Amino acid sequence: MSNPKVLVVDDEKPLREFVQRNLDARGFGVLTASNGLEALSIVQKHNIDLVILDIMMPELDGLETTRRIRQMSTVPIIILTALGEEADKVRAFDLGADDYLTKPFGTGELLGRVKAVLRRARWADNEVVDEKIVCGEIEADLARREVTVRGRPVELTPTEFNLLVYLMRHAGKVLTHRVILQNVWGPEYGNEAEYLRVYMGRLRQRVEADPLNPTYIKTERGVGYLFEA
Amino acid sequence: MQLLFIYLLLIVPFIIGLYFITKVTGERVEQEVQATDLSLARAVAQGTNITIRNALDSVEILSRYPAVIEADPDGMQEIFSVIMSGRPDIELIYRMDADGNILYYYPPGPKSTLGAEYAYRDYYKSARNQKVAFISEGRISPISGQPVATAIMPIWSKNGTYLGQVGTNIKLRSLSETLERIIASQSPSEGFQVVILDSKAQIIAYPDEKLLLSHATQLLPYIYGPALSGDTGTVIARNRKNEERIYTYVTIPSGSWAAIVSRPTQVAYASKRTINYVALGTTLSFLLIGLYFWLTLSRNVIKPIEELSSISRSIGQGPRLRRAPRRPQLDPLAQRSDQIGHLIRSILRMEQDILARMNEQATLLETSTAVVSSLNLQTVLDRILEQVELLLEVSKSAIVALDEGQGVFRIRAGRGLSAGYIEQIAIQPNDPLSVTMRALRSKQPVQISDTENDLAFLPQRLLSRQEGFRSILAVPLNTQHSPPAALILYRPDPHLWTESEIDLVVNFANHAAMAIENAFLYERSDKRLQEETYRLEALVQSLHDGLILSDLQGKVLYANRRIRQLSGLQPEEIRNTPVEQVLERIIVQSNEPENARHRIRQTLTEAGKQAAEIPLVIQGMLKYYRLQSFEVTDAQSASIGRGIILQDITADRELDRMRSSLVSTVSHELRTPLAAIKGYATTLLAEDVEWDSASQRDFLKIISQEADHLSNLVNTLLDLSKIEAGSLRLSRVECQVEDIIQRAVHSAHLGTGNKLEIQVESNLPPLYADPPRVETVLRNLLENAVKYAGETAHICVQVKRVDQALEFSVADNGPGIPPEERERVFESFYRIENGLTRASGGAGLGLAICQGLVRAHGGKIWIAPTTPGTRVIFTIPISAESAEEKEEVQDEQPQSLGR
Repeated sequence: MSNPKVLVVDDEKPLREFVQRNLDARGFGVLTASNGLEALSIVQKHNIDLVILDIMMPELDGLETTRRIRQMSTVPIIILTALGEEADKVRAFDLGADDYLTKPFGTGELLGRVKAVLRRARWADNEVVDEKIVCGEIEADLARREVTVRGRPVELTPTEFNLLVYLMRHAGKVLTHRVILQNVWGPEYGNEAEYLRVYMGRLRQRVEADPLNPTYIKTERGVGYLFEA
Repeated sequence: MQLLFIYLLLIVPFIIGLYFITKVTGERVEQEVQATDLSLARAVAQGTNITIRNALDSVEILSRYPAVIEADPDGMQEIFSVIMSGRPDIELIYRMDADGNILYYYPPGPKSTLGAEYAYRDYYKSARNQKVAFISEGRISPISGQPVATAIMPIWSKNGTYLGQVGTNIKLRSLSETLERIIASQSPSEGFQVVILDSKAQIIAYPDEKLLLSHATQLLPYIYGPALSGDTGTVIARNRKNEERIYTYVTIPSGSWAAIVSRPTQVAYASKRTINYVALGTTLSFLLIGLYFWLTLSRNVIKPIEELSSISRSIGQGPRLRRAPRRPQLDPLAQRSDQIGHLIRSILRMEQDILARMNEQATLLETSTAVVSSLNLQTVLDRILEQVELLLEVSKSAIVALDEGQGVFRIRAGRGLSAGYIEQIAIQPNDPLSVTMRALRSKQPVQISDTENDLAFLPQRLLSRQEGFRSILAVPLNTQHSPPAALILYRPDPHLWTESEIDLVVNFANHAAMAIENAFLYERSDKRLQEETYRLEALVQSLHDGLILSDLQGKVLYANRRIRQLSGLQPEEIRNTPVEQVLERIIVQSNEPENARHRIRQTLTEAGKQAAEIPLVIQGMLKYYRLQSFEVTDAQSASIGRGIILQDITADRELDRMRSSLVSTVSHELRTPLAAIKGYATTLLAEDVEWDSASQRDFLKIISQEADHLSNLVNTLLDLSKIEAGSLRLSRVECQVEDIIQRAVHSAHLGTGNKLEIQVESNLPPLYADPPRVETVLRNLLENAVKYAGETAHICVQVKRVDQALEFSVADNGPGIPPEERERVFESFYRIENGLTRASGGAGLGLAICQGLVRAHGGKIWIAPTTPGTRVIFTIPISAESAEEKEEVQDEQPQSLGR
């Protein structure tokens, strides 16, 4: 696979350049945009592997941009935010972001997240397994990366797909937060329980008949989650 | 009736007594009559008995004579003659043999019965069975043809052989003669009748000879049976002539005969009847006299008294009358000269007096009630005059009171008086001649009975003639809390007010004074209350918040102007409308009416839930209102209704929103340079990449710039907090405008695409200011221009002198600021909500800081109405003096900062 193409979107020039130059120096193909509209047009025109997106921007803020990218692509998105509050992260995840970085962040943190997100996407992309997993009414086609629930196809992001597949493979077993995070997101992760809350919520919305009273994805309070077939 | 009863109570015992007396007397009379008759009958019986006895003795003696026994005619003649000579009542003496043949009789008569046989006769038969003398029934003597009764003695021999009998015929007539004598001895008016009957009820003796030996029925009713059986008694019966008689019968023992005495009861009981008549007469007299007295008493005394009593009862009863009603039925009584007439006249007079007094009192009460029925002073005064006219029949009256403003007495209210007169009257309090003042001073009514003849009234005489009155009565109104006043009555004729009239007016005046005082005090307190109410009303009406007061039934009692505006209802439409309906009018303006309705219902119904926030779209603007409900209680904490406050919290919400955005904004603004610093620092530190020295310098330069940026930001925040706290201190120095502009342009990091034009008026004096602060202002404006107009914007900075200040203007060709936002952009953390949000980030503090700094210099800042683009103008006074003057002015105005 050729060098991943990363789109960096930030209205603050110094920060944009910082990300651009670091990724550039590590062999990533980097494109930049100073606002959301610009970013959308680039995503449409180029085959982007990863979008790094600042939340607070003129023209179109990062959250709205995320929402619009998700309407046309499943490209992984890392959100850059100065907002440390959980509510903002949850909103970002709700709209389809895959990961986020809170300002200020160092080079190591940036590169670690970028690599992890790309790895998840790539793992998903490259893992050729001619297999179908069926749990109850849920059927996951690993080769085509498609999920059908009660016979209807369901649209999932790569991370959502990976998470669902992981859960289905370990059906009937209680999985802790840390285990899930490290196996789905990557070994760098382990304390981001809030990711799971958001993702589990979104999966329930998609696969459960009644998301408020789930029959598949069950919460083991204080421990983790249990997938029941 | 009572009287009649008492009368009967007296008369009835009397009548009963009289009845008993009469009865007892009657019985006594009867007894006496009976006793008299009985003694008479007994006397007759006794006399007859003696006669018979004598006859029987005679024959007994004769029977013992041998000549008789032996029937010796000679011897018998001798003896018989002797006896005959001594006994005129004897008609004949005879001797009969045992066979009933007459042997001898004496005196010899023309018709000789000698030898005749009378053995068939009863007495012959009886004699044969008898040993003693007895008397026969009455019979007609065959010799003399006279009625006789015979005394017979049977003659028996010693050996018991019946030898015949000797007998003497007693002339019945002689018995009758005896009776005649007895009757003659009685008063002929008594009507006595005496009869003697033999044992066969033949009349033996009776004055009328023709009836001798006839049966008793010829004369008597059948009353003699008991007498013939040996009884004695009295009986009242009617005789054949239907005459009622009292019959008294007695047995005559010698011959089983009866003597019967009778007389008419009419005569016998005359005295009894008389007594009865007397008693009856007396009773009737009593009754009649009583009746007469009762009728007279009833007609002449009782009826009039009853009339009077009904009059006296009716006084004051029923509908009120001005005069006593006419009573024609009493006219004849009233004309009587006796005590009753006198009494009636007195009572009628009294009735008239009482009615008059009651009328007076009632009128007084009515008038007083009418007078006190209002609390409006002028109404009270007018009513007083209206009522006094009714009460005293005066057509002109006035109330004169002290005009406290002018210190003179004026007519406060007049009736029947000309406007000119009312206007004209102005009495000085010390006027010695004024009737009003005299009355007020003396606190007593004062009158002028004739204005034409009263010297004191001379000055006013012309006026009185014009006004048409001849007499005046002034009565002081005893008020304590209201200005002194008097009631004045006018009459068109000379009139001396009587004591009773004056009393009435004084009495009325006391009530009137009370009413005036009440009204006066009420007016005073009412005015105060009205003022307070007005103030309160104005306050509540002017509230920016809506206020509703409802009663316990949930009907609106009051709603202020804001509620009317929000509901679009008129005050009269709101009043008494259920609160829910009013709120519904407001809720429909919400962009989420169902939700709002639900929350309001919860607030109104659920205890403890005090407030609901509802969004309303008013004139196209989204506003937020907070609805609070609270209980309204009186002084005793009893619930009297509910209050609802509808508070416009849009500004609060906005402030909250801005405050919460402060955190993110400041966080973002601070983290952005910090992120660059940390990013480049870690970039330099990274070991996996070798950066060339140019890059390294570039990174370090960015780090330095971002550190400056961070420092500026922190200073700005500090400045803002000082401005808001009012503790910003300026370090003024003389400085050149151009220098400041240059520094500002330099630090503003204008984009390479930006075109900057600077126009500074020539010969500007130096500025006495705090250069870094002015520079900050300019820099912020320049940065804003770049942020909002873009990196290719055309920016123009102008400076010129206006009076004692320099006027700076920064204009760009960007999208501009909407007119309605031009004031608010100077508020802290305010940013216009549109698509261009944070065109270049920014904390929303720039213009707020600019305003604070400019004002600190004594200048002004505003957005000029320019299109297209934005043009911000601010002034800085040239010298400290002019700045101070400005500051003073500024201090008087409220600060828009410092929230």
